[in-house]
Amino acid sequence: MIRGFLLVCLLYAGILYQPAAALDSKQVYEQNEARVFQIRVLNRETGKKSSIGSGFLVGDGSQVATNYHVIGQVILEPELFYITYLGKDGREGELRLLGLDVAHDLALLGAEQRLGEPVVMTDLPPRGAPVFAMGNPLDLGLTIAVGTNGGILDQTDASRILFSGSLNPGMSGGPTFSEAGAVIGINVATARNDISFIVPSRFLVELVEQSSQSAFDENADLRDEVARQVLAYENRYLDKLVTGDWPDLDLRQFRLPGAISPTVRCWDNSAKLGAAARYRRFQIRCANKNHVYLDEHNKFVGRLSYDYFWLESDELNPVQFYRLYQNLNKDQIDSKLDRDVVSNFSCRTWFVEVSGQEFKANLCRREYVEYDGMSDVLFTAALTGYPDRGFFITLTMTGVDYAATLPLIQRFLEHMQWQP
Amino acid sequence: MAALILEVTTRGLHRYFALEGEVTTVGRALDNDIILSDPTVAPHHLKIIRYGDDSVELVNLSDVNPTRVERRLLESLVSRELPLRIELGRVHAQLLRRDQEVAATRPIAGTGSGSSLFGRAYWVVLLACACIFVGGLEFWLDAYNEYQWSDLFKHVLRETLLSIGAFVLALAILERLLVNRWEIRQMITSVCLVYLLYYAIAILAGLLDYLFSSAWPGTLLYLLWFFLLIPGAIALYLIHISHLHRRRALLLAMLIASPIVLPSLMQSSKLLLLLEDFSSAARYQNSLSSLNWHLRPTVDVADFVREARELDPGEFAD
Repeated sequence: MIRGFLLVCLLYAGILYQPAAALDSKQVYEQNEARVFQIRVLNRETGKKSSIGSGFLVGDGSQVATNYHVIGQVILEPELFYITYLGKDGREGELRLLGLDVAHDLALLGAEQRLGEPVVMTDLPPRGAPVFAMGNPLDLGLTIAVGTNGGILDQTDASRILFSGSLNPGMSGGPTFSEAGAVIGINVATARNDISFIVPSRFLVELVEQSSQSAFDENADLRDEVARQVLAYENRYLDKLVTGDWPDLDLRQFRLPGAISPTVRCWDNSAKLGAAARYRRFQIRCANKNHVYLDEHNKFVGRLSYDYFWLESDELNPVQFYRLYQNLNKDQIDSKLDRDVVSNFSCRTWFVEVSGQEFKANLCRREYVEYDGMSDVLFTAALTGYPDRGFFITLTMTGVDYAATLPLIQRFLEHMQWQP
Repeated sequence: MAALILEVTTRGLHRYFALEGEVTTVGRALDNDIILSDPTVAPHHLKIIRYGDDSVELVNLSDVNPTRVERRLLESLVSRELPLRIELGRVHAQLLRRDQEVAATRPIAGTGSGSSLFGRAYWVVLLACACIFVGGLEFWLDAYNEYQWSDLFKHVLRETLLSIGAFVLALAILERLLVNRWEIRQMITSVCLVYLLYYAIAILAGLLDYLFSSAWPGTLLYLLWFFLLIPGAIALYLIHISHLHRRRALLLAMLIASPIVLPSLMQSSKLLLLLEDFSSAARYQNSLSSLNWHLRPTVDVADFVREARELDPGEFAD
């Protein structure tokens, strides 16, 4: 009860914290330069930087927030790497891991002593309001980037704010401030051309609260904790997909699931055929955007994509048509990983009746070497029995619990409607 | 005294020496009756003495690489039983009676009154036409876009005629080197038969893949093709057309087949599945068939999902 109250107080402290006038970038910088650090992952043998990012003071002032992907190397190889901070004033020291929120790419680190005043966190300002991102781009020193708040992005499962400003490598994990000088989020990624992404501060508030409630066992195999968090997030996500309302999408003689979540976008992906083509093909590709950073080998998991492919021809004879159809029916998961990271695929074939039509279906799964219970899943189903038309669906999911994907596949198949 | 013949075999070539006198000496020195120039043969290696009772005595004269008869070291041997196999150093020989029976005469392929495929001009033309037809058919079946007749001719010329021509030429040169003969018609017939058989196997493999919903029947067929049928076909050719001895023909067939088999093996995606222990790609059964013949029953969605729960996890590569 008290903790909940404190959490609410912490979250809305920024609302109460209202300076007399809006700050400009110079004032935000001066006010916070002692609270923002360069976060460095150092090699224990060489003592040199292996990767860098940014971080800032939260909680009681001995805690430093950053991105999970900044310090992910330490999770995989703690015997080789350790984490330190470096302040603008030259202060430096070692940091230990206090908590992780892998799904939102956050990590909470702890210093041996209090390093200064923590930042104040707040909710989002209105869309279009100026915001200021601080960090250490390219190891060039602390700087501030000015941009505007583009609002929460639905397509990222509300886990990202669009920042119309420039984030560069090394600024990951740094804070983004409102005009009031309070932190609205944590720098996380960029798509270049002043399109960048920020993690909303509410997830950090929850992480700080959680870590104050339960001790983090930093001696445990943290890969298990990473796998547990990713799978918990993906299971919730898949469950939400299965129970949500699905819009329809028509492709020739099939009524199909459209964009099944706000996180999913569908695009026409039809190849442009020359005038000499003796067939027609139409393709729709739907994919989500709320990917989760896993580690430097796997990069991102939580990818969901489904492709619909329709092929028809009045000119090709059945043998010609099926040669073409078979040649096109070879989709793969869009992620090439090596044997150190994943297993081989295990596949099985069925003939399945869907909406009165027969499909040749294949289901494949592969497992992650380092993350117990985590799989990639590939499902394909190709319409059979028609001499002049074909249709196949390819559904892929990465970094998921295999069993949790089956209800989604089932709903997909049950949603498909043949329209004679 | 019955006349005897010493058959000497070096590097696959046979030479025959008639033993006229009572005593015949064999060795590398020029004062022998039969001179063998092989460096493993002693200057005076073997003495052969013929007796009036049709028996023969063999006397070893060499301490280095002593003579062996029927694979046993020889000091001196008197025998009436012929033939006798003799080894002088690295040289193999056989002592035969002049009236020793020889094997039946083998007809040249394509001659005589038989209806053999090999060597008959009309079969050559017919099979070559069948290959051209199959090459054209292959182009036509893959013609998903509108095409010109010139494209078809180019394809047949490039993919069919040139490849068959190259095989015929290479194998004919090889045959010339091996048995000192040109048998072009028989070679064209054989290469065309192999080409047509391969096409039939490819079609059959596709049908089997779909029928069994598995890549294994097709893969086994390809394995059979690469490791048994190609060397087998070459061996049969060498035995029946080139008239080589079986053991030699089999050995040569394996040698000749290896440059054909190995590159094909490396390019065959089906067979790569057997060689690779890890693949980032999912090896699923993507074959589709207009005939839609399959042994696996069609299930409803609920049954599919129930069975899918039992799908084994992927196996980690070593």
